[in-house]
Amino acid sequence: MLEELLPTLSNDPQAQSLWKDFLTALSSPGGPSDQLLEPLLRTLGEEDVASGLRRIAETLPGSSETELLRLALRASGRIRRELEDEANRLRDTLRDLATPIVRIWKDVLLVPLIGSLDSVRAETLAERLLEAASATRAKVVIVDVTGLPTIDTAVGGFLIEMFAAVRLLGTSVVLTGIRPNVAHTLVKLGIDFRMVGIARDLEDALRMSLELVANGETEKKKRSAAAWNAPGEGNHDAAG
Amino acid sequence: MPRQDLGFGVDPESYDIVIHIRREQDIATARQVVKNFAQENGFSLADVTKVTTAVSELARNVYRYAGTGSVCLRRTTRDHGTPGLEIVAVDRGPGISDVARVLAGGFSTYERSLGIGLAGVRRLMDEFEIRSEPGAGTLVRVTKYRRSL
Amino acid sequence: MVPTIRVSDCLLVPIQVDLDDATVERLQQQLLREIEAERAQAVILDVSMVDVIDSYISYTISETASMARLMGCRTVLCGIRPHVALTLAQMGVRLRNVAFARDLEHALILARRRGTGGVPGIAPPGPRVRG
Repeated sequence: MLEELLPTLSNDPQAQSLWKDFLTALSSPGGPSDQLLEPLLRTLGEEDVASGLRRIAETLPGSSETELLRLALRASGRIRRELEDEANRLRDTLRDLATPIVRIWKDVLLVPLIGSLDSVRAETLAERLLEAASATRAKVVIVDVTGLPTIDTAVGGFLIEMFAAVRLLGTSVVLTGIRPNVAHTLVKLGIDFRMVGIARDLEDALRMSLELVANGETEKKKRSAAAWNAPGEGNHDAAG
Repeated sequence: MPRQDLGFGVDPESYDIVIHIRREQDIATARQVVKNFAQENGFSLADVTKVTTAVSELARNVYRYAGTGSVCLRRTTRDHGTPGLEIVAVDRGPGISDVARVLAGGFSTYERSLGIGLAGVRRLMDEFEIRSEPGAGTLVRVTKYRRSL
Repeated sequence: MVPTIRVSDCLLVPIQVDLDDATVERLQQQLLREIEAERAQAVILDVSMVDVIDSYISYTISETASMARLMGCRTVLCGIRPHVALTLAQMGVRLRNVAFARDLEHALILARRRGTGGVPGIAPPGPRVRG
């Protein structure tokens, strides 16, 4: 009966082989798993699979079209979720490529902003930057806005929030890449980035950053030296 | 059984979770409950934090300015089926006479701290609605949608 | 009582509990007492285990920092989680009189720095960058 049924389901030998696997499982005690329908759905599509399942339900005693379609729906759902995950992964990659966060020096991250900055992009960028700064214990983040065509009130707001958040992590911020027309607009809008250091170009920004990093190192050494040299002081690391 | 009204027509039956705010500890309880609810509903860590912080602010406002009230949570969806979380903080307290002024920073210390919390909540959430009537109470409804990333 | 640790002349306070209002207020009292008793020149609040900081907690921390400052003690907040930092920044909450450190090592450096508690986004006054 199988042999008679198969050609009615498909002309294609490969599809027939897939149907055969499914039909074999159908007559076995456990019943078929919806996974067997996945390759069929991918190859033939929903319409043909649905017709095939109807044909099977009509022909084979004890098989219910409803049950078979339910299996197909499950398999279809799984395929859809897989495709969604893939789409999300691609979106992530695209987004990461659009705004890279680059470690350009020890403890220094660089974020070159390009294109427009809407609220979703700004939010995602801020989250990524904060995670990166925290994970790498960055001492300085350089934000280069040369690639932003304009900075209006909204974008200014996003940047200010991002800078404030980075500073809360204990990381310094150096802003660079503000061109004359943008500088003009910002002042007219009353936006000043007072809470961050501002460099006139990337080279200047890097120099400022290295200075910051160096200052930190100097202070660290001074502290260690003090701990060594002063005999009554030192680290009391027990409670109380 | 007659329909309950927590204030401004808020019916607890139409919410997934209702937390009554009566004592100071209830603020922390509300935080924990919404944190779990948001996590269970697939919100990102960043958004769980925002929602939890918002509830902390709203629950505290209810406790401090009204004494008692409720924080209600429910799942919701937007037009294209984007899932979201709706939070309603409602009380039958003294109400706010000039909401706009409070949101803008207020004049007194009382208004200022109330305002800072509310203004902050508004910036964290995707939707924000506030209704208040002196003598009748206050309702704050906010919604956060899950980002389809 | 939150357990505190003395490190040199600084008071390290790891915060590992949910900061409800009562706890925050008690902590303020405790810190002021201990700053005086230990003659601490800085108090370092380690908030790396704290996952929510709202406006009231921020306000109380700032308030405590102001009080500590009057007693000659600097306040440093250490280890703010990224998502907590973003939430605070987006709410527009200001933490006054507090310095922010990446980790304990940084905190100890900031504890010794000359100048007021609130440090700007860039380093302390140092040699001016020229050229």
